[in-house]
This record gives sequence, structure tokens and C-alpha cells, in this order.
Amino acid sequence: MNNILERSGFCLKALVFHAEKCIGCKLCHLACSAQNEEIFNPRLARLVITSCYDREGLIVDGQVCDLCLSCVEACPVGAIVEKNGRLSFLEELCTDCGLCVDICPNQVIVKKDKGIGVCVQCKSCANWCPTEALTFEEVKR
Amino acid sequence: MTYTGTVLRIDLTTGKATKEPLNKDWAREYLGGKGLSIKYLYEELEPGIDPLSTDNKLILMTGPTTGTIVPNSGKLAIAAKSPATGTILDCSIGGHFANELKYAGYDAVIIEGKAKSPVYLFIDDDLVEMRSAADLWGKGAHETEHLIADALGDVITLAIGQAGENLLPMACISSELYRQAGRGGIGAVMGSKNLKAISVWGSGGIEVANIRKVSAALNKIKREDTMTDDNMWAYSDGTPMIVDLSQSTGILPTRNFQEGTFDEYEKINSAAVKSTLKAKKACFACPLACSNYVKKGKTEVEGPEYETLALCGSNCAIGDLEAIIEFNRLCDDYCLDTISAGNVVAFAMELTEKDVHDFGIRFGEIDNFLKMPGLMANREGVGADLAEGVRAMAEKYGGGDYAMQVKGLEIPGYEPRGSWSMGLAYGTADRGACHMRAWPAAVEAFGDIDPYTSEGKAELVIGMQDDNAVKFSAIFCDFWALSTERMAEILNMLLDYEVTAAELTRIGERIYNLARLFNEREGFTKKDDYLPERIFKEKLTTGATEGKVLPREDYDKMLAEYYRLRGWDENGMISDQKKKELNL
Repeated sequence: MNNILERSGFCLKALVFHAEKCIGCKLCHLACSAQNEEIFNPRLARLVITSCYDREGLIVDGQVCDLCLSCVEACPVGAIVEKNGRLSFLEELCTDCGLCVDICPNQVIVKKDKGIGVCVQCKSCANWCPTEALTFEEVKR
Repeated sequence: MTYTGTVLRIDLTTGKATKEPLNKDWAREYLGGKGLSIKYLYEELEPGIDPLSTDNKLILMTGPTTGTIVPNSGKLAIAAKSPATGTILDCSIGGHFANELKYAGYDAVIIEGKAKSPVYLFIDDDLVEMRSAADLWGKGAHETEHLIADALGDVITLAIGQAGENLLPMACISSELYRQAGRGGIGAVMGSKNLKAISVWGSGGIEVANIRKVSAALNKIKREDTMTDDNMWAYSDGTPMIVDLSQSTGILPTRNFQEGTFDEYEKINSAAVKSTLKAKKACFACPLACSNYVKKGKTEVEGPEYETLALCGSNCAIGDLEAIIEFNRLCDDYCLDTISAGNVVAFAMELTEKDVHDFGIRFGEIDNFLKMPGLMANREGVGADLAEGVRAMAEKYGGGDYAMQVKGLEIPGYEPRGSWSMGLAYGTADRGACHMRAWPAAVEAFGDIDPYTSEGKAELVIGMQDDNAVKFSAIFCDFWALSTERMAEILNMLLDYEVTAAELTRIGERIYNLARLFNEREGFTKKDDYLPERIFKEKLTTGATEGKVLPREDYDKMLAEYYRLRGWDENGMISDQKKKELNL
């Protein structure tokens, strides 16, 4: 799949998380859920940014879709497709098998009652991020 | 409509949790947060109850903005009758508890009664569990949070430390280690109920009509009104930036308010704090990230805030930032309010130096200073006296003229002799000396208004008190200087009815008057609106405030004008006409 993108000369851009800039406000989660699920619910966001304290101190961690396309390859019915460096989900094809959710190395596919939610690179999260901790950049493989 | 419409009521005595509908009429008149929690307490508490008895109630209250993408909406109000003052007490805590509670399906939690043995609550959507806290009792708030996270995973927790268990009138409630509902002994109310912690996890969300459009409009507001020069000091510096301002204007409390400047201020100012900065940290939905996560030597904290730098630094003549950071960390873990803790330690230092009573600690003594949080929280040694606050210490040993408190609550970090409006703000704050009800120093001592006149101060303070009352009810964080017009614009995106800026100001006035009415019912009168004698009599001796006092006659004048403009009588009692006007 990556070969196809490279061959087509398409510049592959995806979200990149910069932990050192993150303030842990969760505005990215809210922006994502509002845009894609029409509700303010951080747990329905298609990215996982955490900033919290454990016994060792402050832990900032972030997982975003980096367009690895594992989900596209894993889906047995072709319900997740990539076109011009953008994912889309075809709910009518989905059998709710959950393979994509399990295989996503960044754990950013949201399992819903019916179907799933993948990052569609709408950039809402990056547009809301107050500190440019989320950017949209060319990704290297 | 962004209310869930549900209040969770938990009776710790019986262990029963019940859901009830939010009182919509009250929500319309008081919004949420500060206002609505005070309304519930005013209606439900009998006058004259002991704040540490089973009769007191602890209310956790969200607001109509909570859980949404509205900038700076991540605050929770926690309210009860105050063990420190006997007044109404509402505190504001940041972090991520408020949104989580809303996602669990509740606008508010009302906690009543007392558990037979130590417990903690776990609110997991519809499931409410009262769990044994036998293994947590006696532990600091930090370890308590870690142990609960070990048991429950990804939850947000409000916890008390030893200070709350031991019912200190300066005990706070802590969350995410370094966020506090700080003042008035709110943590002791939890302790008195054998309630060690409250954890919450919510799976739900908040629906808003035209959510994409609303989000886009709010992002514009965030960029053009929140993240502006007026507010970005929070990100660039945070509250430590006030140290230099207070020093230059001579209102930095030093040596128990004996002076208004501190020779070593450069060791505790924003530049010094920045040199230890590891990361900036925000509450939920806040783009301003005022918090500084710092490390110095072997210690670390999210802080220290200005109030800590002033009261535990200059006011104790401690010019060692590492010591202040460690003191701050200890206070957060034991759950001591650093404003009150700094005040009592400074008062003990002065009483010792003046040979009134030997507490074994003098100004600037770092080793002894660092022993105090533990001694206070556990009521050990001299800590047993300090634990009771400066008013009780003065009653026992003397020094009442320089026990720096109003209504029993210790004074924050702005010297009233160099900011007369702050004096009035402290005197008329609903929970005792507080800088959050009105912070007129911003435009007066730090701004263009003459600090040394009583002219216009009453109007200034009243305007800020009413604005803040509605702001902390909506709920917005103090650090976004937003107008009531902006507030109305945002609320109109979320509510199913329309509000105007003028109506919001009226709501703020109603809330402030209801708080006053609560205190009136508890027997508070004009005499309780006064400041310690030191402010009226003792001249400051250094810096920009050298030679200054706040003359009592000027204070009398400000207070009389304040009562008049409030529509209260000359003794500070709310007139029947004002009650009628505000539907009280």
C-alpha cells in the first residue's frame, strides 16, 4: 500500500504528536469527538493523548493515527479504505469483527456500538491544539 | 442544553445513593458551580450547625459549560459550611474531575451524614460504590491517589491527606496531586465524614445543538479572546509573575505582614521559578496552562503558585526556592492550604521572636520551616497549636493585632496597606479573607488607580465580586479575563434559553447576596468585616509603601459606601427591598 502511495508521487502527511509541547488540556479529544461524533466525549476521540502523574512524576504520552494502514490491510471486507492519504470508513460493509481495533498499533480506532471510528485527518485536533503539540506533517516510513 | 439534569445524593450514614432531578428553577437563577451549590446549602443546612458534624453537607457542583470544549471550563465547585470560619464556603478546583463527573451523568453530588469507618466513593456512571478506605487512612493524598489508581485504573480522584483526617481548619482537598480546593477547611469536612476520597469515571458525553458550528465559533473565541496578551501571562509565567509586581509596589507580604518588600525576592520570583521548569500543565479544556511543573534538587511540584511564594516565602522570610517547593509539595501531600499554612508559620515566627510564646521557629529558619507541615497535619508538638489557625493561636497566646485573618481565614498575598481596595475585598469576601472574590489589586496597585484612597473602591470591589460570582458559577476559570457579554454569548450556544450580560451580572449579584444572607443567618455582622489592627495602625517601613497604613476612618468610609451601594443597611444587613429585588 505504501508503495502505491510512493509510486503515485503522493506526499504522505499525517498527524505528529510533540509530547514536549503538550499541556494535557484534552481540547484535541473534544475537537475530534465534536467533529466526528457530534458529541463532546473525549473517549470517542480518534487519538489518545494523556498527561498525568504516576509515582515517578509527570507522564505525557500521545498516540495518533500515523497512516500506517495496518487497519486497511487487516479489514477482511474492505470497510476501511485509503484514498489520497486519507482514511474513510464504509459502515455498510463493516461486520463489527473488531480486527482493525485490535491490530491498530497506536490503539486509536474507536470501537462503537455499531462500527468503528478511524482518524480521517480532519485536522480538528491540530486546529484546536493551543501549543502546536499536534501538527500535520509529512511522515517518513 | 448542557445540564445532565441529575443530582447524585449520597448518604454516608446509610450507604445509600439516590438520583434526583436538578432543581431547574434554581439552576436558572444560580447557574451552577459557586451559585448553585450555595443555593442548595442555604436551603438544606439548618442554621448554627457544627461544620464538622454529620449535619454539614459537602456539595460537588459542575456548571453549564463543564465537559464541553468551552475554553477554561474545567473547574469544579466544592462547597460546605466552613470549619475555619463558620461562613458559607465554596472552593474552586481545577484538573479533570468536573468533566468526568458530568460524563458519568451528574451535574452535582451532595454528600451527607458520616460513614461508620473510613471509606472512599467510586462513581462509575450509574454504579456508585462505597469502598473501604482502611488501607488509605493515615496516608497522604498523593499515595492515596496512586493506590486508588492501582485499584481502579483510569479514574480522577479527589482526596484528603492527614490534615483532613485530623480535621484541621486549613485542610484542603487535592486532585491529580497538585490541584486543590484550598481554603476554609473543606478537606476537614470530608475528614469529618470519614470520607477519604471520591473517584469518578464517566463514559458519557455532552450533546450540543449544531456542535460543529459551535466548536468552530468557540475556536475563534479561543484564539481571539482567550489566547491573547491579556491572558497569556498564564502560559508564559503563571502566577509567579506577581512576585515582581508585588515587590515593586510594596505589597509583597513579608515577615508576617510586617513589611511589603522582601530583600531576597529575586530568589523566589518568576525568573527563579522558570529556571526550574520541566513542563507546563493545564486543566481540562484550558489553553492557557498556568501550571508550572518544576523540579529543583531532590524535590518537585506543580507550582509553586504566587500565593505560596508570598505566604510561605517572603512572609516567612524564606528566600530559598527549593525549600519553598518542598514545603509546597509537603502541604499538597498532607493537604494543607498553603495560604493559611504560610500565615500560621509566619505568625508563630513573629510570636517567637517577640517573646510572646516560644514555638521554636524564627523567620528564615529553613530546617524548622520544613518540619512544620508534618507537625501541623498530624497535630504533633508545636504543630498542635499551629493547626488551629492564627485566630485560635492569638486567642491562646496573644498577638491578635497581627494575627492576619478576617472571619478566621488567613489573608492572601496582597498587603492591604498598599492596596486599599484589597483590604475592602478581604473584609467583604463571603468566606473570610480571600483574593478570589475580587482581585482589585490588578487594576489598582498594579494598574492606574490610586491605591491610597477610599474613593471609588466600593464600586470597584462590588463589580468584581458580582462578575466573579457568576463566572465561578458558569463555570469559568479566573484566569480568562472574559466579559459578561462574552459569557452570555457562550452560554447562549449551550442553553435552551437566552441570557443577556445584564442578566448574568444580576445573577452574580444574587449569588453574592445569598452568600451574605447565609452568613447573616449564622450571626455574622459588621464587626466581622474588619481587618487586623496591624493594617490600620502599623506603618510599613520599606519600598513603595514605606510609611503607609490603611487608616481606619478610610476603611470605615469604604465599608459604609460598600453597604450603601449593595443595598444593605448601615450594619451590613441585606435590606428587605434588596432581597425582594433579587428573589432571595
